[in-house]
Amino acid sequence: MRDISMILKSVWKSLFVFSAISVIAVSTVNAQDAKEGRTLFKAKCSSCHALDHKVVGPALEGVSDRHPEAFLLKWIPNNAAMIAAGDPAAVKLFNDNGKVAMTTFPELDEAKVKDILAYIKEGEPKAAVDPNAPKTGAQDSGTSGLSIAGIVAIVVLAIVILVILGRASKLLERLILQKQGIEIEEDVPLKVGVRKMFKNKKFVMFFILCLIICLGSFGWMGMWETGVHTGYQPVQPIKFSHELHAGINQIDCQYCHNGAFKSKNATIPSLNVCMNCHKAVQARDKYDGEISPEIKKIYASLGYDPETQKYDESKAKPMEWVRVHNLPDFAYFNHSQHVVVAEDAIRKAKGLQPNEPVCFACHGPVNTMEEIYQYSPLTMKWCINCHKETDISGQKNNAFYAKVIEAHEKIKKGEKITPALLGGLECGKCHY
Amino acid sequence: MESNKKYWKGLEEYNNTPDFVKNNKNEFAEPLPIEDVLNEAGLSTVTPRRDFLKALGFGLGAVTLAACQSTPLKKSIPYLVKPEEVTPGIPNFYTSSFNGQSILVKTREGRPIKIEPNPNAGQFNCGTDARAQASVLDLYDVSKLKAPATVKGGQVEETTWAKIDSFVKGELAKAQAGGKKIRIVSSTVNSPSTNAVIAQFAVKYPAAKLVQYDAVSYTGIIQANQNSFGKAVLPKYNFDKADLIVSFSADFLGTWISGEEFTAQYTANRNYKSLENKKMSRHIQFESGMSLTGTNADTRVPVKLSEEGPALIALYNAITGASLPGGTLGNNTTADKVIKLAAKELLQNKGKGLVVCGSNDVSTQILVNAINAAIGSYGTTIDLDNVSHLYAGNDAEFNGLVAEMSRGEVGAVLFLNSNPAYDAANAKAFTDALAKVPAKISFSDRADETATLCDVIAINHNYLESWGDANAYEGYYSIVQPTINPVFNSRQAEESLLTWADAPVKDYYQFVRSNWEAKVLPAAGLKWNEVLEKGVITLAAKTPAAYSFTLSLDAVATSISTSSKALAKGGDQLELQVYENVPMRDGKNANNAFLQELPDPVSKVTWDNFVALAPKTAEKFKVKEFDVVTVKGANGYSVDLPVLIQPGQAQGTASIALGYGRTKVGKAGDNVGKNAFPFISFVNGTMQYASNVTITPTGGYYELAQTQTHHSFEGRAVIKEATFKEFLKNPGAGNEKGEHKDYDLWDQYEKPGNNWVMAIDLNACTGCGSCIVACNVENNIPVVGRDEVRRRREMHWIRIDRYYSYETPAGDVTKEKEIAKLEDLDHVSVVHQPMLCQHCDHAPCETVCPVLATVHSSDGLNHMAYNRCVGTRYCANNCPYKVRRFNWFNYWNDSRFDNYLNNEFTQLVLNPDVTTRSRGVMEKCSMCIQRIQGGKLQAKMEKRPLKDGDIKMACQEACSANAIIFGDSNDPNSEVSKALRSERIYYVLEEINVKPGIGYMTKIRNTDTKVQA
Repeated sequence: MRDISMILKSVWKSLFVFSAISVIAVSTVNAQDAKEGRTLFKAKCSSCHALDHKVVGPALEGVSDRHPEAFLLKWIPNNAAMIAAGDPAAVKLFNDNGKVAMTTFPELDEAKVKDILAYIKEGEPKAAVDPNAPKTGAQDSGTSGLSIAGIVAIVVLAIVILVILGRASKLLERLILQKQGIEIEEDVPLKVGVRKMFKNKKFVMFFILCLIICLGSFGWMGMWETGVHTGYQPVQPIKFSHELHAGINQIDCQYCHNGAFKSKNATIPSLNVCMNCHKAVQARDKYDGEISPEIKKIYASLGYDPETQKYDESKAKPMEWVRVHNLPDFAYFNHSQHVVVAEDAIRKAKGLQPNEPVCFACHGPVNTMEEIYQYSPLTMKWCINCHKETDISGQKNNAFYAKVIEAHEKIKKGEKITPALLGGLECGKCHY
Repeated sequence: MESNKKYWKGLEEYNNTPDFVKNNKNEFAEPLPIEDVLNEAGLSTVTPRRDFLKALGFGLGAVTLAACQSTPLKKSIPYLVKPEEVTPGIPNFYTSSFNGQSILVKTREGRPIKIEPNPNAGQFNCGTDARAQASVLDLYDVSKLKAPATVKGGQVEETTWAKIDSFVKGELAKAQAGGKKIRIVSSTVNSPSTNAVIAQFAVKYPAAKLVQYDAVSYTGIIQANQNSFGKAVLPKYNFDKADLIVSFSADFLGTWISGEEFTAQYTANRNYKSLENKKMSRHIQFESGMSLTGTNADTRVPVKLSEEGPALIALYNAITGASLPGGTLGNNTTADKVIKLAAKELLQNKGKGLVVCGSNDVSTQILVNAINAAIGSYGTTIDLDNVSHLYAGNDAEFNGLVAEMSRGEVGAVLFLNSNPAYDAANAKAFTDALAKVPAKISFSDRADETATLCDVIAINHNYLESWGDANAYEGYYSIVQPTINPVFNSRQAEESLLTWADAPVKDYYQFVRSNWEAKVLPAAGLKWNEVLEKGVITLAAKTPAAYSFTLSLDAVATSISTSSKALAKGGDQLELQVYENVPMRDGKNANNAFLQELPDPVSKVTWDNFVALAPKTAEKFKVKEFDVVTVKGANGYSVDLPVLIQPGQAQGTASIALGYGRTKVGKAGDNVGKNAFPFISFVNGTMQYASNVTITPTGGYYELAQTQTHHSFEGRAVIKEATFKEFLKNPGAGNEKGEHKDYDLWDQYEKPGNNWVMAIDLNACTGCGSCIVACNVENNIPVVGRDEVRRRREMHWIRIDRYYSYETPAGDVTKEKEIAKLEDLDHVSVVHQPMLCQHCDHAPCETVCPVLATVHSSDGLNHMAYNRCVGTRYCANNCPYKVRRFNWFNYWNDSRFDNYLNNEFTQLVLNPDVTTRSRGVMEKCSMCIQRIQGGKLQAKMEKRPLKDGDIKMACQEACSANAIIFGDSNDPNSEVSKALRSERIYYVLEEINVKPGIGYMTKIRNTDTKVQA
């Protein structure tokens, strides 16, 4: 009876420890608003402000210490109104910074301003800099490596605690019994116990079975993951930020990847496309008046001299990007089929927001990727699942499909229209 | 009644030789050596347990280690500055011309990868020939020179253009100042701009003159027209207007003047559409060697070369009632009978008949003109007003040049697109004379036979890198535009000439453009850019006039008789005909591996030439097939070549193909076969391709790489044919279906969307083989080389089976015993059958694949997933059509195949939409699935239903005869559905109920069996 209560107690304790560790593990800082703030900062503020140095406006580090929050909440959305109203603090601030007018941001409500301030207070989050973060953070595959490790650690810890508690309770019990004067046999030494255990055939059998199951499932999982490069994020010759271009600056995917809507290749933009903007945009403000070293790489590759603004073809050398999304040679994939013909179906199937480009369905939230990585597994299983499940009844509006769909007996019987039903799973449709 | 007429692919099948029987049983020539292994102590050897475990452990370890490598880093390199018109992944098409024919060049990311016929081509409303299809490979030829070069003592050294220019200018000035002649030796120049360049060159160097010289000459016809009608021209022939064609050894469907164009015209009167209108032309062929045209003739009569002249005289006499002497055919009674019949029929078809002759003898061609005039061909089937400029070479002029050179009168000679050191009849005299010329300049792209005898090689662009134009017919202009930047440091020959002439405009693009804007465009009312898009300009044709023939023929007849008698020596002297075959032609493209591996349409020999002898002649000289014989000509030239026994060859004659035996053309083409050009003789002012030779066996044996019986149907009936008469009575004649019960072991496949099928018209297919090369280029099919072809391992996805059959006056010979009684094999008829994957609905290959690598699709195709294939080869063994090909090697990365396509540069020709297959997997016709998918995507993007004709197969596009019709049989209005409803449609081996997707139309012959024997 007592044993059971002891066991229950220890289980309770271990559960407590477990939940405590989980809470610590999960609450990796309530950073939601700071993250939001970072995005807003990059979009709204970063053209004039930096955290640690003066750009056009002053460095913003410690701004919450310099000014009361109430002031900032008013100042940031509409500083012009405050100055016009003659708020002394506002006028002083205006004069101190060389009377350069700051843009007004009427679209920023209080919550957003607080987000920005939270970001300024916290500074650049470490997680975003860490290249591992997006690998593990932004997957849809559920359990990531880190969380599995965490759970394993917790389980091991719980077992250890259980064992210790068990021993302690046994000791206590023995002490009580001794006190009551009941003679007890001396405990069997541990060594003998282990030896005895290994002589127990049933136990050995059970142990081996467990081992086989463990190793087997590890192997099985490992095999499935072979050649799957989800999260693959090679170092690129230019630290090109999709977050900056596609996210903050809202450049349409097609502006650079203009093949995606007509060809099988999405195409990496040729450098003349970069030059459309970067002839003027040189990010000198962030590099003490120098041209950004990354932008310089574009110039070097093209043989472009920013001083004379002339191209020297003899100095040009191609830009060797590292391919991120590698399909096997024998798999044919056509971007235009998916992003033009099947756009609506894919949007629906993947639950994309209207403001998100269809590309996100497979390439993930590119607008938040500081450096691009492989979001989807790109395995055949992944392709097939989508072809099996996606409802493409919307394609009836396309005269090509209308004719094909009409001919299908099965559809008349009310079967769901999927690419698979129209032959999308046949080998030759992708392999030739 | 089901016909049991016997068809056979080669004499080995006909005679059932032991080798044939053995090979015929197996799909693969070499069986697995299982029994050897088992017999040689295979079963008795003991493998100790420890050895076994060691091997197992090592294997596991090795595999694990081999698998432990990081994924290779793949680079993705975009354009620095992308050209506006290029979208990676999407092909661009540019108009250009090949040998005067307007074509489209398909480029991907700036690389030309495929040639297609131009649908706006007008006059050339036909497919493309094998040479045009294969020509993209020439661009990526590694045997070309990479920079201009100088030649000193046979050593070729690369140099710069500046040095070349100063040297050549100096030499030209010297020659001009010294009163010496300057000669530009070229094959026919029909480019208006090149002619203008040469004219400008002659302004600077008045001593310069163009000498046109064709390796295979048409001077005879041109001279004859000069004599007969005062027009030194090659006429335009209209085979489509001819109801009766009588040809004397003119291979007009293959190599004579403009084979593809004539094929389109010819089949227009013989294909299924024409037959549905109950109309079919008739074709009688007299020839000594079996030509591609001869195999398609309704009636083919073998005549000796010496009988050709008398036969023509006899025909003339029979038509006009004249009595020219020399019109007796000796003991060739068949020819005599057919001549009389032909004369009768030609007279019945006045104005709808056409007589053509392949001879280059002026007198013979004058006689042909007389016959054509007598049957009213001028103005209808022969057009002397809208003439052809395809050939203009002048044999006498070239011989004159050799004489001038040997007299030391020539100060400088330039070779443009010509190689006389290889292909001149008397190459020795030519090279001796050439040595006396102080300055010799070649525009060749490689150090070929002539170029190595020159001082400088000013390497010319490939035509795919060039600007230019062509004027194939009067009023028919086509443009040549570059589709890629020059790969090597070459310069267009015209630009070199302009540079050396110090012309004001040296940029050849500017030159062509201003030349067109001045001379051609105003007449057509078009702008330059419109021409670039369209590719051709066709000015209004003149109305062809009728021409009357008034010349006296006595001298002509005497001349013909004398030549004939000279040839008919008899005894040990064979009459030798040297001819162009379809793949190799004059040998200019001999380094093209696709062409070398294309089986000759008649003999099915690849990678070699040979002496073709009639079975009776071989018997007489006691030689067997593949015996090596020494062929010795009257001029003392001799070569050792293997014998090929050719049914249908006239007895007492031999044939050797030209274009082989190149020594300095490159890795693939060097020393393939033997050179037959020296057998050509110069008689009566023209080159003669007939001569006398003796043959003596050397005792050697040389196995030709011949594909004819490689994929046999083991004697099953796969050909159905009928005569035109029977067809008129019953359109389904010859296609009677035997009764048999159908047993179905397979499930029915549902094909709700499309059902891709084909119809092949055996009456249109001439067997030329351009589909094979088109398929090779489109589908990245490897070249395997001579040795592998001998092992029956050629990889072609489509092949053309050529069947012989035998006809006698008593009717078809059906039983082998009867055949054995027959005396000779002179009179054989031929059927060509393109054979490719039939995409059976009940495919036997699919059932036996253990890994489901080949499965059926819902649109009627038999898919092949290469990565699933483990190479058991069960499918090939179970395929009744023998159309599956096994990759015995990794042809794309194996040093044994370095001479063909295996190098980085040549592989730029590959189609990026088709995977190259690796060693150990099966492959076969995919029905150009990349084109089907591409066509469907195009329609989807444009949100419209798929139209009939949106998707075309590579073989279909190349076919001039429109023998291949592809489409969706679920669409009742598609062309293929209509064709498949024809009563002539049968399915090969339909009795085995595999439900093939390709229907064949019965072969119809417009014969009168009474004619023969």
